[in-house]
This record gives sequence, C-alpha cells and structure tokens, in this order.
Amino acid sequence: MSAAERPLEMAQRPAEEKQARPGIDWRGRLLDRAPFLVACLMLALIVAIYGSLQSGVFTLDEINLDTAAAMTLMLAATGQTIVLVRGGIDLSIGGMISLGTVIAATRFTDDPSTTALWTLIILALGFLIGALNGLLISLLKLQPFLVTLATWSILNGVAMIILPTDGGSIPVWWVGFASAQLFGLTSPVWMLLALLLFWWWFRATRVGITIQAAGSNEKSAFLSGVSITRVNLVTYGLSGLFAAGAALFLVTQTGAGSPTIGKDYILPSVAAAVIGGVSLFGGRGHLAGTLIGAFVLTLIGNLVFVLHVSSYWQPVASGVILLLSVLASSVAEKAARNRVQ
Amino acid sequence: MDLVTVKGLSKRYGGIVALSEATFSARAGEVHALLGENGAGKSTFIQILSGAVKHDGGSILVDGTDYRPANPDAAQALGIAAVFQELSLIPDLSVEQNIWFRHEPRTLLRTVNRGEMRRKTLALLEKYDFPALRPDQELRRLTLAERQIVEIAKGLAKDPRILILDEATSALPAREAEWLLKLTRQLAAEGRLVIFISHRMAEVRAIADRLTIFRNGSTVAAHEANAVSDNEIVTQMIGRHLDRLYPERVATATDCIALRVKNFSSGSRLSQVDFALREGEVLGVGGLQGHGQRELFQALFGASKASGSIELWGKPTLINNPRQALTGKDGIALVPEDRRGQGLLLTKSVRENLTLSVIKRFTENGLLSRQKEAALVKEMVDFLRIKAGTSEQLAGTLSGGNQQKVIFGKMLLTQARVLLLYDPTRGVDVGTKGEIFQLMRDLAAKGYAILFHSSDMPELVHVADRVMVMRNGGIAAALEGDHISEEGILRAAMLETRVA
Repeated sequence: MSAAERPLEMAQRPAEEKQARPGIDWRGRLLDRAPFLVACLMLALIVAIYGSLQSGVFTLDEINLDTAAAMTLMLAATGQTIVLVRGGIDLSIGGMISLGTVIAATRFTDDPSTTALWTLIILALGFLIGALNGLLISLLKLQPFLVTLATWSILNGVAMIILPTDGGSIPVWWVGFASAQLFGLTSPVWMLLALLLFWWWFRATRVGITIQAAGSNEKSAFLSGVSITRVNLVTYGLSGLFAAGAALFLVTQTGAGSPTIGKDYILPSVAAAVIGGVSLFGGRGHLAGTLIGAFVLTLIGNLVFVLHVSSYWQPVASGVILLLSVLASSVAEKAARNRVQ
Repeated sequence: MDLVTVKGLSKRYGGIVALSEATFSARAGEVHALLGENGAGKSTFIQILSGAVKHDGGSILVDGTDYRPANPDAAQALGIAAVFQELSLIPDLSVEQNIWFRHEPRTLLRTVNRGEMRRKTLALLEKYDFPALRPDQELRRLTLAERQIVEIAKGLAKDPRILILDEATSALPAREAEWLLKLTRQLAAEGRLVIFISHRMAEVRAIADRLTIFRNGSTVAAHEANAVSDNEIVTQMIGRHLDRLYPERVATATDCIALRVKNFSSGSRLSQVDFALREGEVLGVGGLQGHGQRELFQALFGASKASGSIELWGKPTLINNPRQALTGKDGIALVPEDRRGQGLLLTKSVRENLTLSVIKRFTENGLLSRQKEAALVKEMVDFLRIKAGTSEQLAGTLSGGNQQKVIFGKMLLTQARVLLLYDPTRGVDVGTKGEIFQLMRDLAAKGYAILFHSSDMPELVHVADRVMVMRNGGIAAALEGDHISEEGILRAAMLETRVA
C-alpha cells in the first residue's frame, strides 16, 4: 500500500513548502522550441505548395523518394549537428565524403565479403580522421574552423590521387540497397527512423550530455571534471563516422565515386542544422530539427523543379530560408532573454 | 587526528609565485575559514585541493595518505568537492542535470534515469532545506544568486567529506546567505570538514571554528576563531593596520539634481520608481534581492527598456541603449554586476579595456594617437592604483579587486558624471573594498552623482548618504541620516512583503 502511495507523496511535498514551486514554465519551453517549430512550419508550407502543384506528393512513394534524396545530407548533417552542439564546426566532412566515395568506387567488388571489409575500413577511417581533427583542435588549441578546413583540403587531395575524375564502379547489389523495402518503406526511411532513435538515446547518455555541456560552456564543463580532449575526440570522431556513412549511402545514388562531390554537403549540413534550430554557439539543438532542415533544403529543389524556373533559383531560395530561420531563432532568443531579466 | 595536513605547498605560474611554503591543517567536523586579500593565494590553494590545478612542491596528506589528484574528478572520488566562485555550471542544462552532471543515475540503456534523478534532487534539496528551486528549469534562466545555490547543491550531491565554499555567500541575498551559514554548520555537525572562504568578517565570525590567514602566497597564521580579535585578523591579512574600512562620510551633496527619475516602470519588475539623485551624493539602493534593483540599474543604463522619464542635469533625456547613456559629458556609466562576464574583456589588456568605450578621446584627425591613449591610461592606472605588471597585462590575469578597478577606470574615462555602481565590491578583498569606498567618496566630493547598490547591507549603511529601499519593484522607503541602519533597511524591505 505504502509503496504505491509514495510517488504521490513525493510529488506533493514540494508544493506544500513555505515557498510554493511554480508550475511548468510553458511559455519558456515554447520559446525554447520556437526555432524548431518555425522549421516545422516552413516544411509544412513547402510541402503544401509542392502538393498543390504536383500530384502524388502525399504518397508513400514520394516519402520514399524524398527521403532517399535527402539521406546523404541527413547523415552528414547528423555528424555536423553533434559538432555544432559541441560548439565547433566540421568542414572536413566534405573531404571525407569524397574520399569515402572514391574508396568505395575503386575497392568495392561483387564479392560481398570484400565489400563488407572495405565498408568497415571506410567507416573506421571516418572515425579516425574525425578523431584526429578533435585531437588537433585540443592539442594545438586551434580553431575547429581552421583545422577542419585544412583536413578537408588534405582529404580532397587524397581523394583526387585515388581517383582523379568521377568514375569507378559500385556493385549493383549495393546500389539496390537504397531501394530495398520493408513494410512499404524503403531503407532510407528506416535509416531516418534509426537516426532519430540514435539521437534520442545518444542525447540521454552521459557522453551526449557531456558534449552538449562542453558546447554550452567549455570552462564550466572542464571545472566539472570533463576532459575536453576526450570530448573533442569523440565529437569529431562521430562527425567523421557519419560523413563516411554519408559517402557509403551517396554511392547508392550516384553509382560511382567522385573526388569533388563532398563539398556540396559542407555548408548545406550546417544550414540544415541551423534551419532546424541548432545554435552555432553550441549547447543547443536537436537532430529532429536538423532532419527537418535537410528535408526543407531537399524539397526546395523539388519545388524549383515543378515551378519550371531555372535551377539556379534553388540556392537563392535556400539562402532566404536560412536567413528566415536565423531570424526566427534570434527573435525567440531575445524574447526568452527579456523574460529572464 | 587532522583530516587534512598541508606542508610547504608551492605553486608557480611562469615567473609568478602564487603559493610558497603554505601550511594548513584542519579536522573533520569543523568549519575552517580561509582569510586573505585577493591574490593572497587562497584561490590557488583551493584549486590545488579540488584538483583543478597541480602543485609544484610540498605535500598534502588527506587521512594520512599522500594526496595529489590528477583532476577534479579524482579529487571528488576521494571525497573532496569545491563550490567555485567561478561557477562550474552549464547554462543549457537544467538545474537537476547540473547538480548530477557526470554522476547521473542511469538506466540499463546507459541513458539518464530521469525519474531517479528527480527523486534524488528533491531529496537533496529537502534534506538541506534549500531555497525554492525548480529542478527542470534551465540554468540560463536563473539569477546569479540562484545559480550559486545550484552550485552548492552540485557540491553536496557528491556527498563529500571535505566541502570547499569559495565566496559562496557573496552572490547571495541576505536570507539565502543566512541559510548557507546554517547549512555550513549542519555539514560540520555531520562530521564533514567545510573550508569556507569569505570576505565578510561577520560571517566568518558567525560560523568558523578555526581560521587560517593567507598573505602574499603564504600562510601567516592559524587561529582558533574565538581566540583572536577582528583587528588582529585584519592586521595579519594586510600586514598593516587598516584604519577604517569605511571612509568618513562627509556630506558633499549640492542642491543641483543630477538625475531625476519619474514614474519609471517596466512590466512587473519596476513600478513607478521616482527619485532624485543630487550632485555629490551617494544614494544607496537596498532591499531584498530580486525586488527590482537589477532592473532599475539596467533600465537607467539603457540596457533594458522602461517607461517613464529621465532628466540628466535638468535636461530631459532619452536613453534607449548604453551608447546613448554613455554619450557626452553628461552621460551615465555603469559598473555591472557580473564583472568577468559583462564588465571586462578578459583576454584583452588593461589598456584596451580602459579605452574601449572612449576611443574618440584620443583620436586626432581620424587616427588614433597612441601617446594620448598612453597618457590617459597612465593617469587612470595611477589614480586608481591598479596593480598590474604593465598596462599590457591581460585583464583576466588580474586579481578580482584590480579587475574591478579597471572597470572603474573604464567608467571614469567616459567622463560620465552619473555613476551606477551595482554591487561593486562583490568578491573584492577587504583592502580594495576600503579603497573603492574611499574612491566613491572622493568622486562624490568632485561632484559626481553615485547610485550605489550593494548586496552587503553594512556597506549601504556606512557609505551611502541616503538609502532607498526597494520592494516589489517600487521604492518602499527612503532613509536618511540616523534612520539609515540595517534594521531600518530590513524593516522597510520586509515588513509589508509579508502581508502581500
């Protein structure tokens, strides 16, 4: 009997104290989520316009197609989100993606075991190169921007050496992976769900919280006993790992390797995160927002296509949306700050 | 047996000796105060104890075994936790996440067990009778005082044998400071050793069993608290007699009104504040923390919005931002609450900090005149007796008192003659406190008009010509002459609050 009642007692006691604890701060929570909500609104708007211009938008097929189109960016942006929450930035993912595709295009064979081995090698390479970024940032006390700019250039060069022009070949069965279905949903959609599940788990682990804490206030985190070197190692390592994953997915879409393709994902990965409400100053942001942001950026391409205007309008539209997102989060931030004072 | 024994402890930073041959011993179950001016070595000492910094020489014995923690984690594992003056909290985590940071209870999936964490948080807050805190609130929404309280909870969450409180009361309003003193006694009664650092003698007096005095990086004396007088302590701290902490209060106010504020309101935080600050006057602003003092200062400086009118030296003035506040010889300058965060660029030099707001004053034909700048900087460094190696020393490496002097210098260089001082002596050592009070009186005598808030009530009582007591965002009372007393301020601040 008492065991069942105890939780109730616990919940009631604080309210009875001399100074009643106020209830949940709904307005504050809403303001905190404002950038994310704005991103959702944008996506809804784009989908609505897209749906009114094009038939068959609200079908499973369309979801499968769009997710496949966005998945490379989503994987790259997942790593980028972790880095941004840490308060850094990773430009080297561009190099890593290029490198991943050229290794895959030159090493993958029809023999599944060879391909599996090289898949593991690419993923391990991604993590190690990322970890090296983190190590350099910590040990040399350099700006993440500069270190990853340098490694981007290096990885790009290595990719060029391995495969100077677009080409190579990807086994057909590997390409087919992207259209494999389960319960009517293709593998990219399942990957999307897996990413969300990963984030839900990751952000609740001590490692995830520590990375967020280091991004929120590095000095406080250090004073709390956090090893900043280890945080950077893991953060950038994960970013490299996801970039390698992005490369492995990308080759299912292109069927070939490209030593220059990675650069197309550097700034969009940051943009997707920012549109989704991830703070460039670290400490704040969620993957759900980033994935929405990636959808927004991808669907803009579709929208430009069905509007029959020049495809050069796509980057223009992306830029405008990025500005609007940043504006929305800054307005929310100001509102939140005014409430504190 | 002593729980902690320290012998010959030393620490150098480059060429600077921070600690040399320090000794210390303390028993379990006592409150042991560390006293000394800023820069005396207390901070370095507790940083070593808490594992944030490694010592170069000497030995520390804890429970008879050699103690040399590699980092704060190792120190905590050995039961030593510190509540730092420089807060170790994470702005984007919630109160409870901060309290249990890196020690969160976990589920089988290795994720944080939120239910268990909430339960442990409430149990901890209740056990030590913490002032009201919302466990789920994000830290960046909290006031400085609330953050300090969270920091204390975080230290206690480690269930330490030795708890170090570094200036923990300096950010707290009176009621919470009192709670902390009670808590400190409670912790000692539980058999823990509390190492307590405070610049407030009355607090040390109230709770310390023993005390150790630091000066110039060494320990100069250790006493049973009841066997030594305040005077002896202060003499040992500063190595000379400090005649009086508070300067003589000479009335220098004229009839000329420097700042008139009418019907000043801002949401629920400021309501219809009316007052006049005269030339040559030090006007104190007191009351319980959180009753509009911060908002008043912020709004007067243009850092936040308020309705109502302001007259400066008889002229109606609009102040919508700090730039307007600082404009011209008739401006308003602010010494902000958060010295390190708002007042100073820590990684810039003393010179750059001093002249940041006044680049115009040494510009000739559109070019900076280094000579003019150097002259102005030298004038300020000499006038304020800022102790820095050179004016190129980084502000972040100065002691707290000297950092505060740099902010004063920065403010004086703007040539504003209405000065807003928000808790200017927070975390400043006794010697520098005295200098700051003297400076305030000197400035008043020169015709400056000073609005002065302090979280330490005796400062208001002894330094201000008049004291306005704020309550619920308005002025509850204005005390003058003999009516200025701690009792008078508290009475005005509290009596009707209770009814409301």
